Amino acid sequence: MRRYLSLLVEYFLQYAKVRLAYKGDFLISVFTTLVATGLGVVVVLLLFGRVPRLMDWGFYEILFLYGFGLIPMALFNVVSINLYYFGDRYIVQGNFDRILLRPIHSMFQILFEQFRLESAADAAVGVFVVAYAARHLGLDFGPLDWLVLAFAALCGFVIYVSIFLMLTTVSFWMEDRVGVMPPVYNMMAFGRYPLKIYNVFLQFFLSWIIPFGFATFYPAAHLLRRAEYRLYFPLLPVVALACAGLAVALWNRGVRNYSSTGS
Amino acid sequence: MPGEVQAEGLTKDFRTFQRKEGIRGAIENLFVRQYQTVRAVDKVSFRIQPGEMVGYIGPNGAGKSTTVKMLTGILAPTEGTALVNGFVPYRDRTRYTRTIGVVFGQRTQLWWDIAVVESFRLLQRIYEVSDSDYKTQLDTFDQVLEIKRYLNTPVRKLSLGERMRCDLAASLLHNPPLLFLDEPTIGLDVVAKTNVRQFLKEVNRRFGTTMLLTTHDLSDIEELCKRLMIIDHGRVLFDGALAELKRQLWQQMWVRIELREPAQAQALESLSLNNIHRERLDELTYRLVFDREEHTAGEVIRQVVSEVDVRDVFIQEESIEEIVRRIYTGPSVLEFGR
Repeated sequence: MRRYLSLLVEYFLQYAKVRLAYKGDFLISVFTTLVATGLGVVVVLLLFGRVPRLMDWGFYEILFLYGFGLIPMALFNVVSINLYYFGDRYIVQGNFDRILLRPIHSMFQILFEQFRLESAADAAVGVFVVAYAARHLGLDFGPLDWLVLAFAALCGFVIYVSIFLMLTTVSFWMEDRVGVMPPVYNMMAFGRYPLKIYNVFLQFFLSWIIPFGFATFYPAAHLLRRAEYRLYFPLLPVVALACAGLAVALWNRGVRNYSSTGS
Repeated sequence: MPGEVQAEGLTKDFRTFQRKEGIRGAIENLFVRQYQTVRAVDKVSFRIQPGEMVGYIGPNGAGKSTTVKMLTGILAPTEGTALVNGFVPYRDRTRYTRTIGVVFGQRTQLWWDIAVVESFRLLQRIYEVSDSDYKTQLDTFDQVLEIKRYLNTPVRKLSLGERMRCDLAASLLHNPPLLFLDEPTIGLDVVAKTNVRQFLKEVNRRFGTTMLLTTHDLSDIEELCKRLMIIDHGRVLFDGALAELKRQLWQQMWVRIELREPAQAQALESLSLNNIHRERLDELTYRLVFDREEHTAGEVIRQVVSEVDVRDVFIQEESIEEIVRRIYTGPSVLEFGR
């Protein structure tokens, strides 16, 4: 475990050196990411500024939800970039062989051979929006709350990464390149709004099938002191761990299949 | 035992499915798939002792890289077993890969955009090589490869020859007892090839590193390997010393005769030579081709010079390339070798 943590730092430094070799490119990328995310927030402000209530959710609560949702999403975007290219770059082009020749778990290498550091800027936007909304709501948002928020964001991040890892493992069995990832990626946004606005089926789906609700909505509701969802929050680490365990198990199965088929 | 390779009945089947063409075919593919099993490697057995340098050759698609992939743990065998460095490669992969080095001539393991030394540093961490060992290794490699001057250059700016030297060094940083080389000299110029071979010899001499190399360049084998394995259609056709291959399969012998004057051609033509093929190259030069089993060169030459006024005689053996080409193209050679 300690070895993997220090290797994570090494991999990150390696990436950072490459990125910093092209400083201008990196700065422009950070700037555009911030503008895009900022515009997203503005859209929420404009949209919900006109609709002051959504069911029994007020404007600033919606804003809080949205801001919180940006944080696990940003962390996810930092490490997920290689997953999109996995089938093509690693399986079809054969680079996965090189991965298997190194004495480190293959999943670790795939996640951390590439980063998208500029996405981290979104987390800053998220923190800012949360703080702003919390003040307007008159929430007594202390250091402990921020700690809970950090933990919840980490769990959300684990859920996101695990789900996309599971989708990535499809490449071990099928070389068809029509990805299931883009539609699922778009579904992540569903978890950023009060789940109550959806029909029962979708609510169930977002909680127990692809638990994006756990990644953003339930922890945010807990931080907003919404009593009606208090039973969900303690389940968050359980859901995150279950997702991670399932992803690792599926990945290992995929690697075994790769070893027996070589495709 | 470190540096030892044991393969016992190693077999690999691949299942491919026949894709049907067109839209209708694509839809049918979704529901009905017809599979076909292809045996890429067929009951291959061999044993390599620590410190041996073995050449593994065969035409494209013969099963070379599939064998290497099974030995390196990338692929699991369908049947049979491999025991390498005391590990079952695919099962103990993470521990096993610490004890081997792998070099692909076609593909680099270095990070493309950053200086070579940064890749080395990261590999040092991955393989947990101590700082002092790292320094010693690098100094040793530098003596033959002279890599220190490229250390601060990004990999993408290196020539193929320079990159190959760095790749070799990278694969040996953790001083593995066994090194796999997949076409290590492909695309290199004569000087770079010599350099690579010299380095491999030196590493083998100094560290006793076992090496298994696949190649299409037979001079790699002649330079480096005492032992040669030839594989085709998934089967090992030959396993033995290079000299042994020549002794077994060296079939034809060529004798070139330079006549002192054109008038002697008549005398040569009228000689009765049983089963010896006479070829006229120009008015003074003839080539006699015969089977080594039937005639000896001495006897043929004696017969010729007793009747014909000869200026020079050149004896040529069939080149190793020629022998291998015959093995690749003719199936009958198999029986001939046995």
